[in-house]
Amino acid sequence: MNLFEFCYGLMHWLVDILNNIWYWLGDFLPWKFGDFFIAIGDLAKAHGTIAVAAILLEVLIIFIIALVSVLNFIWLDRKFMGRIFDFYGPYYVGYRIGGWLQNLADGMKLFVKEVITPSKADKAGFLLAPVVFVASSVLALSTIPLSPDFGVAVNRAGDFVPAGALFAFAAFAIAPFSILVAGWSSNNKYTIIGGMRSAAQMMSYEIPLLLTVASVCLMAGSFSFVDIVAAQSNIWFAIPLALGFIVFLVCIVAEVEIQPFDLPEAEAELVEGWTTEYSGMRFGLFMMTSYLRSYVAGALVTALFLGGWHGFDFIPGPIWFLIKAYIVFIVLTWMRWSLPRIRVDQILQFGWTRLMPLAMLNLLIAAAFKTLGWF
Amino acid sequence: MAQAQKVTFSGWVVRPMMRTMTQFIRSFVTGKPNTVLYPYQKLDLPPTYRGLQTLDFKKCIGCGNCVEICPNDCMWLEKLEDPELGKIERPGVDIGRCLFCGFCAEVCPTCAIHMTSEFELANRDRSKLVLGPTAIRDDTYHERFAEERQKQRLPVLDLSKCTSCEKCAGECPEMCVAMMPMDGVGTSKPEISLHKCTSCGKCAEVCPEKCLVMTDVYEQYFEMPEPKFVLKSCTGCSACAKACPADAIYMLEMPGTEKALKDGKKGKPKKRAVFVLEKCVGCGRCFRACKFKAIEMPGVEK
Amino acid sequence: MAEMWINMGPQHPMTHGLWNLKVKVDGETVVDAEPEVGYLHRGVEKICEDRTYPQIIPIADRLCYGSSLTWSHLYCMTVEDLMDLKVPPRAEHIRVVAIEMQRIASHLMWLAAYAVDLGMMAGFLYAMRDREIFIDLLQALSGSRITYNYPRIGGVAHDLPPNFQRDALRACDYMDKKLKEYEDLYDGSTVFLMRNQGVGILRREDAMNLGVTGPTMRGSGIAYDLRKDHPYSVYPDMDFEVASHPDCDCYARYRVRMVEMRESARIIRQALAKMPQGKWRTIAPRTAPEGTGIGRVEDPRGEGMMYVVGDGTDKPYRLKIRSPIFVSVSAAPKMLIGYKVADVVAIMGTLDMCIGETDR
Repeated sequence: MNLFEFCYGLMHWLVDILNNIWYWLGDFLPWKFGDFFIAIGDLAKAHGTIAVAAILLEVLIIFIIALVSVLNFIWLDRKFMGRIFDFYGPYYVGYRIGGWLQNLADGMKLFVKEVITPSKADKAGFLLAPVVFVASSVLALSTIPLSPDFGVAVNRAGDFVPAGALFAFAAFAIAPFSILVAGWSSNNKYTIIGGMRSAAQMMSYEIPLLLTVASVCLMAGSFSFVDIVAAQSNIWFAIPLALGFIVFLVCIVAEVEIQPFDLPEAEAELVEGWTTEYSGMRFGLFMMTSYLRSYVAGALVTALFLGGWHGFDFIPGPIWFLIKAYIVFIVLTWMRWSLPRIRVDQILQFGWTRLMPLAMLNLLIAAAFKTLGWF
Repeated sequence: MAQAQKVTFSGWVVRPMMRTMTQFIRSFVTGKPNTVLYPYQKLDLPPTYRGLQTLDFKKCIGCGNCVEICPNDCMWLEKLEDPELGKIERPGVDIGRCLFCGFCAEVCPTCAIHMTSEFELANRDRSKLVLGPTAIRDDTYHERFAEERQKQRLPVLDLSKCTSCEKCAGECPEMCVAMMPMDGVGTSKPEISLHKCTSCGKCAEVCPEKCLVMTDVYEQYFEMPEPKFVLKSCTGCSACAKACPADAIYMLEMPGTEKALKDGKKGKPKKRAVFVLEKCVGCGRCFRACKFKAIEMPGVEK
Repeated sequence: MAEMWINMGPQHPMTHGLWNLKVKVDGETVVDAEPEVGYLHRGVEKICEDRTYPQIIPIADRLCYGSSLTWSHLYCMTVEDLMDLKVPPRAEHIRVVAIEMQRIASHLMWLAAYAVDLGMMAGFLYAMRDREIFIDLLQALSGSRITYNYPRIGGVAHDLPPNFQRDALRACDYMDKKLKEYEDLYDGSTVFLMRNQGVGILRREDAMNLGVTGPTMRGSGIAYDLRKDHPYSVYPDMDFEVASHPDCDCYARYRVRMVEMRESARIIRQALAKMPQGKWRTIAPRTAPEGTGIGRVEDPRGEGMMYVVGDGTDKPYRLKIRSPIFVSVSAAPKMLIGYKVADVVAIMGTLDMCIGETDR
C-alpha cells in the first residue's frame, strides 16, 4: 500500500468520527446554525479536503522520521565519539536506554536560554537566516523516497516526480546563501569571515558534487530517485563508479561542514564562526539543521550509490534505507573525529585542482559504461 | 629524526582512522572507557593527598607556628573553653583562602594537624568556608591513620632535680653529654648534642634522680628561631614560663642572691629562667611576653 | 576587503591563557601582528618580598601552572646558591625524576592543546589521558596534582612513597608505547603535515638574535640545551640526546617536543636506577646571608632564570624572575607575517604559551 493511500484511509476514518459531531450538532441546533454545521460536515467529507489533509499528514510523517533520525544521530555521534575518545557518551539522563534522553534535556535547556539580538544587527537578515536554512534543508527531503511506496512527491497515479534528484540538490544548495546572510547580518568581524569562508567552500564543492550526480543519472537514465534505485537492482553504483563514490563522499562532507572541512565553524579561531551571535533556540535550530543536513546527505548517498531500499526481503524497504543512511553517518562520524581541520585555502585548492578533474574522469567512466551497454 | 616526513596516500584518511578504530575497540569491546563515574564511583587517593585539615585538640599546644608559616594568612588562633582541657587557644582555617600547601601540617611540632583526603568542600556561602577549631576537630585521627613524620627519642632534662653528679656524661657511648656551667645557679648542667644522640637511653637509666626522660620528639625540618637568654635583665617574673606553650621554660632559684631583710631573716632567692631548647618550638611567645628585654630572638617581630 | 585589525582578544577559546594578539589581515593573509600581555599580572615579585623563604615555594609553583615543579625547583636552587647549601644526593636524584615527569606532563598538555587548535579532538583526549598517568604519579609523590609544593630549600619535602619505582618504570614503558601510537595520529596524518610543514618559519639567525630558547629555538636547528651545556643538579651523570630539527617550521617544533618526551623517559629510568640511599632533606637556615643567588633551569618552555638578593633577614630583598615565554611572545610577529589567519592558531600553538609565567 502506498503512503498516500495509507494517509488517505487514516484521514477518512478520522473525518468520519469528527463528522458525527458536526452532523449531530447540525440536527440539534435550529435555523442557520444547524445548516452551518451540516455544511462543515459535507465539506470535510469531500475528496479534495481529505486529499489535502492526507498530504499534510504525509509531510508530517516524513518530517517526524527526519527529526527522530536527527535525535538518533546526535546520540550516535556523541556515543561513538565518546568511545573513540575513551570516555562514555551521554550516560546519566535516560540511564537505561544509554543516555538517549540527553537530547531532550539539551533541547529544553536551549529553550529556556535568553534569546539575544545584537542591537546593530540587520534585523531582517538576522531573523530570517535560520528560517531559510532550516526550511531549505527540510525541503530537500521532500523528493527522496524511502521506498517506492513511501514518499511524498507522488502524483495521483503513483508516479514519483521525474526530476527528484535535481530538486533535492537544488534545495540542498540554498543553504550557502542563508549562511552568508547570517554571517553578514550579525555585525561581527568573525562571523563575516566565517560566512564568507563557508560560502566559498560550499560553492566550490557543489561542482564536483553535481558532476558526480550527473554521472549517476547518466548511468540510470533518469533524474527520478525511483528509477536510479531500480537501475541498481543488479549491482550498486558504488562499485562501478567507485571513484565517483569517493568524490561524492568528500564533497558531501564539505557541504555538511563536518571535520575535516569545518573551518567556517572552527572553534579554535573564530569562536563559533557564523553562528556566534545566535543564542537560545535559534542556535539550537542551526545545530539541529547541521545534523538534519547530514541525514539528508546520508539519504542521498544511499539512494544514489548504495542501492536505496534493496536488500534482503525479511526487512521492509524503508528500514533498509534508514539502516544504510545510519551506516553512512557512522562512517562520516568516524572520519570526523580522527582528522584535523584543513585550512581554508587548502580546502579550496583541493576542491578545484583535485576533485574536479576526478569528477570529470568519473563522468567519462560513466559515459563509457553506458556506451558499452552494460547498464 | 632530521628527515622530513613524507606525505603518504594512506595518511589522508586510513592511518588516523585505523588508530581511532583501535581505540574504539579497546573502549567498547575489549575493555571499559577510562572514566571514573563520579559521584557514584570514587577516586582512589594516595595517603599523601592534601585535603582538608584536621586538628587534634589534645596534641595541639597552641603554639601558633602554623599561623606564622601559612603563606596566605588563612589561619588564626582562637581562644576556647574546653570542658576537659580548660582555657586553650587553637587554630582555625579559612579554606576560602587556603592553598592546601601542607605547610601547617609540616611545621607542627606535635603533629596535631593532618591533611586528610577530603576534597568535597564547596559551599554556596563564602562565610561557611571559614572553619573554626571545633569544626576541624578530630581527636581520633591518629588512631585511624599511621603517623607521617619520623620521631626521635631524645633525652629531655629537668634541671630542678639535677645534682650535677655527672654520671650521664660518663655513661654516654657517643660522648654527646658535656657538663656546661650555668650562670647564676652555680651548678653545671649536662648539655646534650642532639645530632649525635643515638637514642640508646643509657643516660636516662643511670641518672639517680631520674631527671633525664626519654621523650618522643617529632623531627623538625624548618629551622625555627631560638630564644637567647640575657641573664642580666631577668627579674624572675616568670611571664615567659607562663606564656610558653611547650613547657620549655621553668624558673630556677639562684642560690646566693637572697636579700637580707630588715629583721635579719633572709628573703627568697631570685629566680632565673631556664630554657629547655629540645622542647622549644620557636613560637616566640616568651619573646613577646618578656617586658625586660631579657630574651632576644633575632628575626621575630614583637 | 580592506586591511583590518582583528583582536584575537583576551577572551578567546584559542589563546591558552589571557593575552591579546592583534593581527592585521588583508583578506586572509596576515600583514602585521602585535601581542599584548599583562592581563594576568599578579605582582608575584612584590608578593615575594613580604614572605619568608619557605613561604615562597607554593607561590613559585603558581608562576607557571603548566609545569610548576620546574619553577619551585628553580627557586630552591637559587636560594641554595644564595645560602651555599649542599643538597644530599638522594634529594637531587628525586628532584630529577620529578622534573622529568613534569616535563613529560607539560609536553603532553601542549600536545593536547595543539590538537584542539588544529581541530583534532582525538589527539586532545588521548594526550590528556596519558598525562593523567604522570599526574597521578606526581600526586602519589607530593599530594597534589598541579601545584605540588614538593621541593624544599635543601632537598625535597618527603621521601619517595612505596612502589613508586615500580609505577614510574611502568609509566615510562607506557609512554614509549604511546609515542609510537602518536605517530599514526600525527606524523602519519597527511592533513596534519599539510597544516604544519612550511608554516611559521623562524629562521636560525632570528631565533638567536631574539633570544628565544627552548623547543622553539631547537626547532630552528640550534642544539642548545641547558641540561647539556650548563648542567645543574645530577644531569652530568645522565645520558640523553638533545633534540633538534633543522626545518624551522611548526613541524620541527612539534618533532622536537616528541623527541624530548622520549629522552625524558630515558632520564627517569637512569635516575631511578642510580638513586642512592640516604637523607632527602637538610635543614636550611632561616636567615639568608647578604648576597645574591642565581639559578637557571631548562623549563619545558625554554630557559628560566631566577635572581634573589638576600639582606640578612629571613625575607628576600628582591626576587627577579625571567620567563622564557615573554621572549617567545615578542618573537611572534616574525613568525606570523606572511601566513594565513588560519595559521595563526597553529603557529601560536607551537610556542606553548603559559601566560602565568609571562605576566607573573
